[in-house]
Amino acid sequence: MERIEQAVILAAGEGQRLRPFTASKPKVMIAIANKPILQYVIEAVARNGIRKILVVVGYQKEQVKDYFGNGDQFNVELDYVEQRQQLGTAHALKQVRESVRGKFLTLSGDNIIEPDTISELVQAQANTILVKEQENISKYGVIEAQDGVVTSIVEKPKEALSHLVNTGIYAFSDDIFDLIAQETDLTSVILNMIDLGHEVKTCEATGPWLDVVYPWDMLQLNDMALAKISPATGGTIESGVSIRGLISIGKGSTIRSNSYIVGPAIIGENCEIGPSVCILPSTSMGNNVCISPFTIIANSIIADGVEIGPSSTVQDSIIDRGCQVKGHFVTQSGETEIKVDDEYHRVRIGAMLGEHCSIGTSVVTAPGIIAGNRCQVKALKVLEESIPDKGLVV
Amino acid sequence: MCGIVGYIGEREAQPILINCLKRLEYRGYDSCGIALLGRGTEVYKGAVRIETLERSLQPNDGRTGIGHTRWATHGKPSESNAHPHTDCSGKIAVVHNGVIDNFLQLREQLTNEGHTFRSETDTEVIPHLIEKYYQGDLEQAVSRAIVDITGAYAFIAIHADQKELVVARKESPLIVGIGDKENLVASDVPAVLDYTDRVMYLEDGDIGVITKTDVRFTQNGKKVKRAEHRVPWGIEEAQKAGYDHFMIKEIHEQPKVIRNTFAGYISALEPDIDLGIRSDLDFNNILILACGTSYHAALVGKHAIERLAQIPVRVDIASEFNYSDAVVGKTWVIVITQSGETADSMRALKKAKELGCHTLVITNVVESSVTRIGDDVLYIKAGPEISVAATKSFIAQLIMLYLLAMARASVDVRSRGSLIAELRQLPNKVHEILDREGEIAERGRYLAEHENVFFVARGINFPVALEGALKMKEIAYIHAEGYAAGELKHGPFALLTPDTPVVAIAARDNTYETLLVNIKEIKARESPVIAVAEEGDEEIEKYVDFVIRVPKVDPMFSPVVNSIALQLLAYYTAKERGCSIDTPRNLAKSVTVE
Repeated sequence: MERIEQAVILAAGEGQRLRPFTASKPKVMIAIANKPILQYVIEAVARNGIRKILVVVGYQKEQVKDYFGNGDQFNVELDYVEQRQQLGTAHALKQVRESVRGKFLTLSGDNIIEPDTISELVQAQANTILVKEQENISKYGVIEAQDGVVTSIVEKPKEALSHLVNTGIYAFSDDIFDLIAQETDLTSVILNMIDLGHEVKTCEATGPWLDVVYPWDMLQLNDMALAKISPATGGTIESGVSIRGLISIGKGSTIRSNSYIVGPAIIGENCEIGPSVCILPSTSMGNNVCISPFTIIANSIIADGVEIGPSSTVQDSIIDRGCQVKGHFVTQSGETEIKVDDEYHRVRIGAMLGEHCSIGTSVVTAPGIIAGNRCQVKALKVLEESIPDKGLVV
Repeated sequence: MCGIVGYIGEREAQPILINCLKRLEYRGYDSCGIALLGRGTEVYKGAVRIETLERSLQPNDGRTGIGHTRWATHGKPSESNAHPHTDCSGKIAVVHNGVIDNFLQLREQLTNEGHTFRSETDTEVIPHLIEKYYQGDLEQAVSRAIVDITGAYAFIAIHADQKELVVARKESPLIVGIGDKENLVASDVPAVLDYTDRVMYLEDGDIGVITKTDVRFTQNGKKVKRAEHRVPWGIEEAQKAGYDHFMIKEIHEQPKVIRNTFAGYISALEPDIDLGIRSDLDFNNILILACGTSYHAALVGKHAIERLAQIPVRVDIASEFNYSDAVVGKTWVIVITQSGETADSMRALKKAKELGCHTLVITNVVESSVTRIGDDVLYIKAGPEISVAATKSFIAQLIMLYLLAMARASVDVRSRGSLIAELRQLPNKVHEILDREGEIAERGRYLAEHENVFFVARGINFPVALEGALKMKEIAYIHAEGYAAGELKHGPFALLTPDTPVVAIAARDNTYETLLVNIKEIKARESPVIAVAEEGDEEIEKYVDFVIRVPKVDPMFSPVVNSIALQLLAYYTAKERGCSIDTPRNLAKSVTVE
């Protein structure tokens, strides 16, 4: 069977349930262990020998282009096609009609995958769906199949008809464009194909397929992804710094005296840490982060350009790009109920701060607090409720 | 970043290599060179741009060759440092992209074994290593050489006695283009697209032997197959990373450029900035000399230095200074030029030296001509700028001037600390502007319908008005004038009509109230007014037709955010008018004539 040599990655979506972290970036640019989700997908595709990748961009497309450029850093040829309105996966795929020929892979840029996840699919025939066995199937499209041939797909079923879920990764040929017709999502296209008597096969993923649906999923994935980073110690590490476990420190970063770092953890470029800062597993820190003395950061994601003042405790938390946090900031962590889209989720988490928040001295947050982008919280406040974008707590 | 190419086939290699190199110019252009297998291995190279090298070449009937274009990040661009590099015998030539980590050690070892090195580059160890292991089989010598090398590389080697290109790749981009009785090698696919659309990608650790009819690969001594791919879509444009023009790509690089420029100079804990230039100079005034966009950066620098360091600063256009009876006393002269080759700036620098002034050069190009003349040098880290209209180099120049002002600041430690904190946040603020590009694009489409535009501002943003107007002229071909807001009433008012929009830059500093008065005067002439104003400034909405919002920053840094908003405005105006944005008519990137 002829190998597939081109891939189309759908990266136009916003990821509304991940707000506030998708307010100014598309879901595919959410960083897990300092790497955007899309990068995991591109790397997995490239490792399977596919070099020509077309990325369908839409929401905040410049962020994707600025990061990935023409792909030469990732050893692939990237080109971009814009989906002006995010009407659905089939509509997104239709945008590349003029640009692909023959067999190709279609992937969602939203899920973290590894090379072996798709290693069988790249050799499959056209019209094959990559499926993954999943314990909890309630939020996915469930595939019913007989002898590897799809008989139906049921979106978000109440009862478990099967444990095979649709990963949104397919092998297609350019015939698919005629079959899309006026449909906007791929599930409907597949169902139509089955009705018309086309054979749609399944291929089971052997590697991981991880989904980021809600903000707290980011922490769990971060922990998993950190286990696979390559160790590096760039920058300056002053005397008296203790470093243990799997650690990556980017170039230009300074770790000052008496800091204590326990991996797995990743620290980006040009960060200033310490003196006397404690970084505990599983923490990811972006570029240009500044952590003042006597602060403890544990199991958290700290994005680019964040500054955290002295004597703070940040755990199980996500602090997005450019937040300015003064000293004595404490994120309490614990089990709590968080409401997203009228659904309650029980999770164990600290605080989640959107981009460019400004937090005054001695602020304490209750577990599960979500602060939108550009919130301002004055000194000595206890945050017990989430605050919307540009919220002001005085 | 560098770019490499190779050709083997039945045609003359030289014009093909030159053409491929031009396609790779976006990866760097401070020096370049080619090597051809003709009568032995012939090398032609220099610290010049590709067009210059091309003009100096004689026709050559060599059918095999390699080429290189360089962007120096360390080690100066000079003829000896330019690629290709050769071994002692002069038979082996190599072009390389990447960094050899253990080159010092290898170089010492090879020197002890009797090899003679002629450059300061890490690359030169490769031809000497190949020479060391060469016993009539180039592929074997290369595979033995890479065992000794640690680091990242993509390189092409040729030998005068062999009719083949031998390539190796690890962690740097390299592709092979398959032609008809000819094959090519390059750093990226667009470089070879004029000759073929069939390409192969090398994997890390691959060694390839390429003849005019055959391409084969090995990895760790074992034969491997690499699939041939057809290039299916028009990736000629890929170098622009999906953008329509280099200018907009470069505008989007600015957060990174700002970070790179201040990285290493500022620290949250240490409020003193040490730029590594002489600090014991005896001077009581500063003269900054520059041309074009750099001149506007200089004018912003004047405000910043005078405010923070309380040293009088004069700014002069370099070409004017050259014809003036310049009076200098204890003057420190700063020359700003992106390319480091601008003829007028070079001459001004020489004149300042002759007058006995200590000189500092601020440039983007490592070891360019000015750096050999100036007493001190500061590099902005903008990377290669392809678009003729300067954007990221202007912003990087501003950052360098701020650092200079802060390094000399006589303000207290508290203010210095807060300025550093503000500077650190600037890249994030710039992101915020880029995130709202769409709103600015709309204003651009509006301006595109007009033939005259005024830009007004006061204080530290007056140069931003000049720069905003310059961008509008050079890429959108709209007649645009930058004015100090207070100067409008001394003449230009006569030109204001309902068809002449005015862009007013309203920074929240001591000029704000008077600027509002000026805006009212303009509105009285019925000119449409577009204000550039910070987030949260609601007052301004009462007086103007449109507001372009920029994030709130310390007024001293407002030229950075305001300029970027105006770059986008000029870009989208030009795009709407269908102008040739990256190469405007009658203009060249670096003006090397007076």
